[in-house]
Amino acid sequence: MSECQDGSRPGRGSLVADFRPWLGRLGRRRRRLWLGGALMLLTAAAGIGLLALSGWFITATAVTGALIAAGVAATLEVYVPGGGIRAFAVTRTVARYTERLYNHDTVLRVLADLRADLFAVLVRLDGQALSRLRASEWLNRLTADIDTLDGLYLRLLAPPVVALLAMLAVVGLLGIMAPPVAWGAGLVLAALWGWLVIGQPAWGMTPGQREVVTRDRLRSRMIELLQGLAELRGYGTLAPRRQELAALSRRLYADQRRLAARQGVAQALVGCGVSAAAVLALWLGARAHAAGHIGAATLVMLPLAVLALGEVFGALPGAFTRLGGTRAAARRLNALVATSGRIRPPREARRLSEAMPALALEGVTLRYPDALTAALDDISLTLHPGERLALLGASGAGKSSIGQLLTRQIDPSTGRVTVDGTDLRQVSLDDLRDRIACLTQHSELFQASVADNLRLADPEADEAALWRVLEAVDLAEWARSLPEGLETRVGESGRRVSGGQARRLALARVLLRPADVVILDEPFTGLDEATAVRVAGRLDAWLAGRSVLYLAHDASRLPGVTRTLTLSEGHLR
Amino acid sequence: MLADDTTPRAWLAELAGRVRGWLWLTGAAGLAAGLCTVVQMGLLAWLVDQLVTRSRDPAELAPVFGLLLGVLALRAVAQWAQERAAFEAGYRVRERVREQLLDHLVALGPVGLGDRHTAGLGQQWVEQVEALDGYFARFLPQLGLVMALPLVILAVVAWLDWLAALLLLASAPLIPLFMALVGMGAERLNREQFESVTRLAGHFLDRVRGIATLQLFNRARESTREVYVAADDYRRRSLRTLRLAFLSSAVLEFFASVAIAVVAIYIGFGLLGYIAFGPADSLTLFSGLLILLLAPEFFQPLRTLSQHYHDRAAALGAADGLVALLKEPAAAPFRPAPADREAPRITLRGVTLRHRGRDARLGPFGLSVAPGECVALVGPSGSGKSSLLQLLGGFLAPEGGEATITPRGPLAWMDQRPWLVQGSLADNLRLAAPAADEAALWQALCEVHLEALVAGLPAGLDTPLGERGVGLSGGQAQRLALARVFLAEAPLLLLDEPTAGLDADTEAAVIEALQRLMQRGATVVIATHQPALCAAADRVVELNVSGASREVADV
Repeated sequence: MSECQDGSRPGRGSLVADFRPWLGRLGRRRRRLWLGGALMLLTAAAGIGLLALSGWFITATAVTGALIAAGVAATLEVYVPGGGIRAFAVTRTVARYTERLYNHDTVLRVLADLRADLFAVLVRLDGQALSRLRASEWLNRLTADIDTLDGLYLRLLAPPVVALLAMLAVVGLLGIMAPPVAWGAGLVLAALWGWLVIGQPAWGMTPGQREVVTRDRLRSRMIELLQGLAELRGYGTLAPRRQELAALSRRLYADQRRLAARQGVAQALVGCGVSAAAVLALWLGARAHAAGHIGAATLVMLPLAVLALGEVFGALPGAFTRLGGTRAAARRLNALVATSGRIRPPREARRLSEAMPALALEGVTLRYPDALTAALDDISLTLHPGERLALLGASGAGKSSIGQLLTRQIDPSTGRVTVDGTDLRQVSLDDLRDRIACLTQHSELFQASVADNLRLADPEADEAALWRVLEAVDLAEWARSLPEGLETRVGESGRRVSGGQARRLALARVLLRPADVVILDEPFTGLDEATAVRVAGRLDAWLAGRSVLYLAHDASRLPGVTRTLTLSEGHLR
Repeated sequence: MLADDTTPRAWLAELAGRVRGWLWLTGAAGLAAGLCTVVQMGLLAWLVDQLVTRSRDPAELAPVFGLLLGVLALRAVAQWAQERAAFEAGYRVRERVREQLLDHLVALGPVGLGDRHTAGLGQQWVEQVEALDGYFARFLPQLGLVMALPLVILAVVAWLDWLAALLLLASAPLIPLFMALVGMGAERLNREQFESVTRLAGHFLDRVRGIATLQLFNRARESTREVYVAADDYRRRSLRTLRLAFLSSAVLEFFASVAIAVVAIYIGFGLLGYIAFGPADSLTLFSGLLILLLAPEFFQPLRTLSQHYHDRAAALGAADGLVALLKEPAAAPFRPAPADREAPRITLRGVTLRHRGRDARLGPFGLSVAPGECVALVGPSGSGKSSLLQLLGGFLAPEGGEATITPRGPLAWMDQRPWLVQGSLADNLRLAAPAADEAALWQALCEVHLEALVAGLPAGLDTPLGERGVGLSGGQAQRLALARVFLAEAPLLLLDEPTAGLDADTEAAVIEALQRLMQRGATVVIATHQPALCAAADRVVELNVSGASREVADV
């Protein structure tokens, strides 16, 4: 969708605004997030404690040992620090294990929230927005974007906070023992933290966003090339297309190289910066020690505590250098959520009368954005109660759009669609769709059993009802021959059944609806002649007493047509 | 094309061989960074020892502090170099694989690609190839470091205190054990995790694809709920796997932590003089502290490796699919056509065809088309009309018999689904003739009666078309593709059902344009069902399922 592609371009606008909707969704799991963060902090604290206490212990023992060797009576209580070291060691392992498990649980919960929320938005989109969404490369990108965002907390939110708190704790500890040391090391560490969390993402933002966009473009250019392979090979014009792909790849690699180099700088800075802070702590501590302000063991503990911060800081460079990519994903999903093609249910919905309704288009023009010509141009037609109208036309003539208009999957650009004289926009959507059964051109089967696919139309339908409709589409015998019968799964998009069987299953599903009005878009595509004739006969009986609108490229085989209209490039003939 | 017996592992190894230099450089930079760490820790321990034990004035030691900062800078450079070299290794592999794959896909041609989804192939070419990166950029160099760096550290520790080295070494047999454990466990778990992620994504895509159906059946609310339930179920199952997956790294970390704690306590007691045997007596603050600082570094390479283990799993998963694709045999090697503009003569003698994956053999066919002649091929579906066109297009090799087209020049190909790309109308026309000027484009649009429509657009030839020609009606799209055929001025035209699905008026317009093309002297072969199109041909040849061909009409 064009709105979404706009969202994927590197652009300005506030970073916070791009992430706000997603942070808001995280907010629903606030307690889990705090607890997860606390576990991370505990892990970090145990790591710092282990190294710092070990250093303190060794120095204290060395000093005491030297005194004893010199004949001075000296003792050192060894059991408390020894126990502390062991406790830190165990705590670090256990805390990290718990933290990883707990936080992954949280992330997966967030993922479930994200998917459901996004689906709730998508399910309100109109037919035009959906038809663009159908392009499968777009769909893959959608899931990839969700996956990118589900790690928001674990990679971008918690690590910098934990690093900051761990740093403050260490600096605070330093401050209690030797204030000048705290100032020196604290400044270096704060500068490092600031660069990693603020400077680094700004530095990587442009190539990061561009990388994602280039990758998308590369993918769609590649798909185009593959689709046009016959023509390109024939014309002998493959070379310029390949050069274009090569140029795009080079642009992709250039941005990736930039990002790798910048991430490398950040990683080197972490190693260098934390160690430099430790060296500074040792230098300042040594002066405090020489002045008699701190003891030898404390002197050693200070730099080691700083050094142990390397681990928490090490989690920052990767995610923050590549913030641009995450942002691009957020922007695309934001654009999708904000997409304009949405069917708005009426504020005060009118109920339809019990009688068989008359549906009509009144001077309807339908114009898709970017289209060269209107899809439908000033069309007026009425489907009278009880008639069987065949609307014929070539593919792309606009027949399916009429089906979508009548079921309010799209709204007209001008003119109105009415049911018994009432504008569809004022009628309850649920009510309308309950009264109209519609077989669309691409009726989708879902990855579920035959029975589940049928029950989509009527969740309460009993087995006898299912067999009845399967009989009507000449599939009962086939279903009985399946080892698992109605519980047979049809596979992704119905791939485990043939095209003709999938089409008939979709038709059977429509027949389960107790509707007054039936719209059938090319009901017999993919069916061989003999089957089509058989199904048409049974369909005729079922259609008795209902209004029918056939959408087809020719009228042969359509049972009981009472009136025919022809549609050509958006005009009625 | 890859040899039939190439395994994904062997293929990855071969690719690694091509970037061996960069892999070595990455490893060497990593080793240099590791050595810098050892020196850094040594200097730190020495400084502490001097400050505490010798009570030296910090100012006296300033040069050593400076030296230490120098080592830090050196290590930063090494780390940066490691990252850069790692990128180069991964990038070179990806670039090479993309080239290789594209060459192969082009050689396979439209017939060889068969019914593979182009979106899936595009995904493979971009994402799957990206997934190889981590294996070369991170996993392989780290595998080298795991062998080298711990040994260096162990040697330093042994030199300082052999008993401490023994303590570290005691945990060493655990390392290969856990590597194997992590390896086996992680690979299986990774695969399972990968599969269930794919399944979840598939479920989501399935629902999104079917949204229109769900809307029509008033199932929007229920299906939203189902999406949540599926994702939550995935969470439950994932956690079961993760509990085990995290355990292996937790055990590794546990041993590392315990080893550090034991070493720390050993050194402490040794320094106090509580340990009366072994080298403990000669421990100093310098050696003790250095051993303590080096102990975590001893385990670090292994911990990093276990973090990169999923890179390996991801690469193996991607390699599976890519190797399978690269093994697909191409029908005929692809050679770009020479730019000969003379209308060719086509002679087929006893040509038999066999489609990959289908049992039926088609033919033998005999057909002779004179230069400039237009022949319509008719016959029931399955009689081989499209296959014959594919043979003439060079996308399919004959199984037997002889097929000659002389001279071979460029050809124009058109089937019932017009091929359009995202870009302007002009871009779409120039696909056939990149060098065509605007006048030529307008001329081509005139031939297919689209010039009035395009002239009426505010942006004219620069009007953008959406993905797959969104914005055009079926007839408009087909006529635009036909305009491209005019533009190409190819001496051979192969048309597969060019008017299927068009209404009578549009079909008449397309046929009229085709007749003008024929007048230009090109050789034309059309596969069709439409009587109107047959009427426009010089000759109609009927194919039947047994493979015989029969002249049905000379027009």
